[in-house]
Amino acid sequence: MSPMASAVNLQGVTKRFVQWQRDNTGKGMLKNLLKPEKKEITALLDVSFQVEKGEFVAYAGPNGAGKSTTMKLLSGMLLPDSGDIAVLGLCPQRQRRELMSRLGVLFGNRTELWWDHPVIQSYEWKKVVWDIPEAVYHQNLEMVTELLDLGGLLKTFSRELSLGQRMRADLGMLLLHSPELILLDEPTLGLDVVAKRQMISFLKKINRENGVTLIVTSHDMDDLEEMAQRILMISGGKIAYDGSFDGLRTMTGNLTRLTVATDNGFVPDLGNGGPVSSEKGVYEFEIDLAKTPIQELMRQLSRAQGVRDVEIKKAPIEQVIARLYQSWR
Amino acid sequence: MAAKTTLRRIMRLFGISAKMDLAWLMRDTMYALAGITADMIGNLSVVSGVLLISVRFGGIGGMSADEVLFMMAYSTLITGLFIVFGASNNIHISRIIGRGQLEHFFIQPLSLKTQLITYGFCPFTGGGNLLVGLILLIIAIQRLGLTLSVGWILALSGHLLTTMVIIVARSYLASTLAFYAPVAAEEISSTVIEGTWLLSTFPLSGMPAALQVPLLTILPEGLMAWFPALSLLGKPPLGWSAAYPMLFALILTLITSYFFRKGLNYYVRKGSNRYVPYGFRR
Repeated sequence: MSPMASAVNLQGVTKRFVQWQRDNTGKGMLKNLLKPEKKEITALLDVSFQVEKGEFVAYAGPNGAGKSTTMKLLSGMLLPDSGDIAVLGLCPQRQRRELMSRLGVLFGNRTELWWDHPVIQSYEWKKVVWDIPEAVYHQNLEMVTELLDLGGLLKTFSRELSLGQRMRADLGMLLLHSPELILLDEPTLGLDVVAKRQMISFLKKINRENGVTLIVTSHDMDDLEEMAQRILMISGGKIAYDGSFDGLRTMTGNLTRLTVATDNGFVPDLGNGGPVSSEKGVYEFEIDLAKTPIQELMRQLSRAQGVRDVEIKKAPIEQVIARLYQSWR
Repeated sequence: MAAKTTLRRIMRLFGISAKMDLAWLMRDTMYALAGITADMIGNLSVVSGVLLISVRFGGIGGMSADEVLFMMAYSTLITGLFIVFGASNNIHISRIIGRGQLEHFFIQPLSLKTQLITYGFCPFTGGGNLLVGLILLIIAIQRLGLTLSVGWILALSGHLLTTMVIIVARSYLASTLAFYAPVAAEEISSTVIEGTWLLSTFPLSGMPAALQVPLLTILPEGLMAWFPALSLLGKPPLGWSAAYPMLFALILTLITSYFFRKGLNYYVRKGSNRYVPYGFRR
């Protein structure tokens, strides 16, 4: 696909920040007056990637990896030091107004709702500011009210909403202008299980049925795996991985969780250094299928004594990522 | 394509702000009325002190008590306009910059200018002082026996607009510091504008020129009410042209525009990490 057809196209983007270093000693304060100490932080270093229209991409990385910086660059809140950015074929800095009428941005730790007004008032405000045609507004309002279960919230003051309700209301507001691309920074931050499930299924639905392109950052890898088809991982300002979640597992050694239940007294010996946990005759092993092929594993299990039950599962993606983050340190 | 910013669109933006203001007044009427009354009492006490002195002594520095009343009416109208158009920190912009809240503006499909002009509009909860100013103006006009003409009303509107431009430009010029020092300069606009507000209601007539000139140039408090009021009465101070405030406003706007753009450019290059995650502080 040509870059023009991409929803997002980053080419060689670099972004650095300067952090002032201060200490609390008298000498340090004096030194700060005369010659302040500064530290350069490289948030992004020569980053390039493309996201095609209709994709659902997870954008992950450890704290301070450059995720939010990328989101701000894509939405025109920040200027890159070098490199080119095109979002929906537009330059976020030079064509901000046009882009914002086609883009939706939501940061999980902030709200676009008017705090001292009922939710529906914020929606009406958005209709005017975004110049949304009446028919489109009502159609979208109906859709988000139904899918996000907003019926009972529309007349409530935003400041009186719980975090989960506020996120739903914010997401509903985000969709009123039918954005072609949505950037969500930590949308599941602080949500309980029910609210999280609701949000995930909604995002999947609008991606699948409306063809909306989504780029989502989160620290919850299980959520990301459930939502996205592709994961972009950033570390130290560079793209460390770009591909599928299964590919990520393979890259980290194809980790697998094996649970073996045995009769009392029998500890299965699979020749990999023993179980990672055990409880009442149920042993859990971490197996790297790249090192121990499944046939070999089955052979070892058939030789083990007292085996009553066996369960093989993919390792949780959280564990895979944790291993990856540790290797990047 | 982003919608064009037509006059109709600007009116709709003013309209939605006004509607939200009315909705707030109707929902929290008691609190809103308390706020409006407090604003009016506060402003009336500022102007009545000067007015009472001028009545007691038959004028101040060559200005008659009725002329002082006219100046107080002008000052109250300016306060009213300031509240009606700038109650949402869009004039005290250092608060928005300092708190990292400009990012809310960046994601709207409108120019920053259009957003800042239209979004603080609160004619219902903020209109109290404007109304008091109008009443004082009518009384002053009657007592002074002024003959109203279209030209005079246009001149009054022009002076009011010029004074507002000077206030906004001063605030934005000082607020530029908040791009570079968001913590230290978050409140700089209110310090610059409201810190010297009392001085702006004082009639400078009779003061030595050495005091008047700096107050019309370096610290332009004399342009907030004194100079325009006397110009409207056909007696521009120091023999200067009645158009002087316009020239001052133009130069100040150009200087502000240059530095504000520079600061804004710095902001989008460096970003802001001062966003307050709890609550919404527009």
